[in-house]
Amino acid sequence: MAEFLLEAKNVSVTFGSGATKVEAVKNVSLTLRAGEPIGIVGESGSGKSTLARVLAGLQVPTEGEIFFNGEPVYKGAKSYTGEARRQVQMVFQDPYGSLNPQLTGLNAVAEAVRIHDKTNKELSETRALELLRRMGIAELDAIKKPRQLSGGQRQRVSVARALSASPTVLLADEPTSAIDQSAQAQLLNLFRGLLDDGLAIVLVSHDLGVIRYLTNRVYVMKDGVFVESGITEEIFNDPREEYTKILLASIPGTLGTAARQKLQQG
Amino acid sequence: MSTPNKPLIQIKDVVIGIPHKRRPTLIIVNNANFDINYGEMVGIVGESGSGKTMICRTMIGTLERRGGKILSGDVVFEGQSLATASESDWKKLRGKSIGYVPQSALAGPNPVLTIEAQLAEALRNTGDTKNIKARSKELLDLVKIRRVDTVMKQYPYQLSGGMRQRVMIACALATSPKLLIADEPTTGLDVTVQSQIMDLLKEIRSSMGTAIVLISHDLALIDEVCDRVVVMHAGATVEVGSVKDLEKPRHPYTIALNSSRIDIAEPGSELVTIKGSAPSVGEWNPGCRFADRCSIVQSDCRIGDHPALIGESGTHQTACIHTELLERI
Repeated sequence: MAEFLLEAKNVSVTFGSGATKVEAVKNVSLTLRAGEPIGIVGESGSGKSTLARVLAGLQVPTEGEIFFNGEPVYKGAKSYTGEARRQVQMVFQDPYGSLNPQLTGLNAVAEAVRIHDKTNKELSETRALELLRRMGIAELDAIKKPRQLSGGQRQRVSVARALSASPTVLLADEPTSAIDQSAQAQLLNLFRGLLDDGLAIVLVSHDLGVIRYLTNRVYVMKDGVFVESGITEEIFNDPREEYTKILLASIPGTLGTAARQKLQQG
Repeated sequence: MSTPNKPLIQIKDVVIGIPHKRRPTLIIVNNANFDINYGEMVGIVGESGSGKTMICRTMIGTLERRGGKILSGDVVFEGQSLATASESDWKKLRGKSIGYVPQSALAGPNPVLTIEAQLAEALRNTGDTKNIKARSKELLDLVKIRRVDTVMKQYPYQLSGGMRQRVMIACALATSPKLLIADEPTTGLDVTVQSQIMDLLKEIRSSMGTAIVLISHDLALIDEVCDRVVVMHAGATVEVGSVKDLEKPRHPYTIALNSSRIDIAEPGSELVTIKGSAPSVGEWNPGCRFADRCSIVQSDCRIGDHPALIGESGTHQTACIHTELLERI
């Protein structure tokens, strides 16, 4: 068993070439242990979503490597082959665009169950209902199509779909950005429950409140590089880098107070 | 500047509906009630679907374009009743005394107009067509855009989200409005940009004396920049008070909203969630529309109309008829 469940080593991602060349991610390394919640925080354009896609096996890195359980994830054009494939699952940002509008929540999750478990319709539906119930979606709502569900409910259907593969890592790219505060609290409570069950979570977000609440360690990303990383609590209480200070000081309310004072002291 | 002793705009028992040819009129806001004073910064909070944006539209008179209608109640702007105002009446106010910054900064500006043309359009609206170019530059200065000459020639797609929102604010300020309505002006923008935009709004308020309505679902943000808060739930104002008043909320919904805030929650602790979801438009039961989600609901909460705000305007008002039970929450 490798020390880290998921590891990124010196990963760079470059799009385009010549004058239009964009270095989205520049030589970053990251580690994730089993059952650990970590965060990647940064502003739009910092490269955090690209990095999440690399971790999810959706974007071949230009340089560097990703290891899952010590095994390289990318083998040529393929990624996450064999058993590893089901173990890393992703939840996307947009609850309005990431579900098939034609499928009910139940069918969407049952479809994923069938793909991973290769079971029949009946068994897959039973398991899908169980997963949805765990996400706080009752049977009555499970048979509704996405347009009849609220943003928070849709996002929970997406999580249920991701969980259908019984993953060990959940990659969540801005899962709470598009939903109401109360729905956000609900989703975060669910995430906490999943952590208790031993799931590791990589939370990508620009919402520092969510990062502080859920993660143990955090990587602060700016212009494709990690400017600071460490224990979440320590970074929030005692940011070292100027950029982290500015970022934290921008949070309205009490959360940003410490950083604002620090910035004023110079 | 002298500030008259009466409110700038009053939302009085407003009921908004969407009339339909065959089906009965759908009521989407019932019981909206609050005042905004001169030079004041007021936040309106509530979940999606609580009627925040509808209230915005009544304040800028674009409700009817979207098929809505004020069924009863009144909107009074500087003593002028606007509930039945015609489009030509509105044209004298909208974009003049009342400015508007839309929700989506990215979609806000006209994509085929340069920033210069965009600002010129807003400035011509004032009736004064002299020195438009110089005045445009002043506006961009006002919203703290650097490299003004370059930006003037650019198209919206060439600007970042924060810059676009600044341009939208500049357009809204072209006529030095007395009231500026900002509908979730920083949703989708980064926190650092958000804090810059908020600083800008605060500055505009203090330098120009503009009253600002900030619609947001971010309670922490409203706490930090606003003087007063209006809380909406399922089309009704359920609590109105100063930011200080709202530290001790007097409506179960506000209490629940406050306790689901992650910025004040202990990391890893159980977050309090609000039971169920807000009743959808058209599915409102009699009485208080928060009743099904309320932990201190009593039998008399479910009868009659939705309770009106209790207390004088300008004080801490709540629509909860059982405030004596609040300490049980």
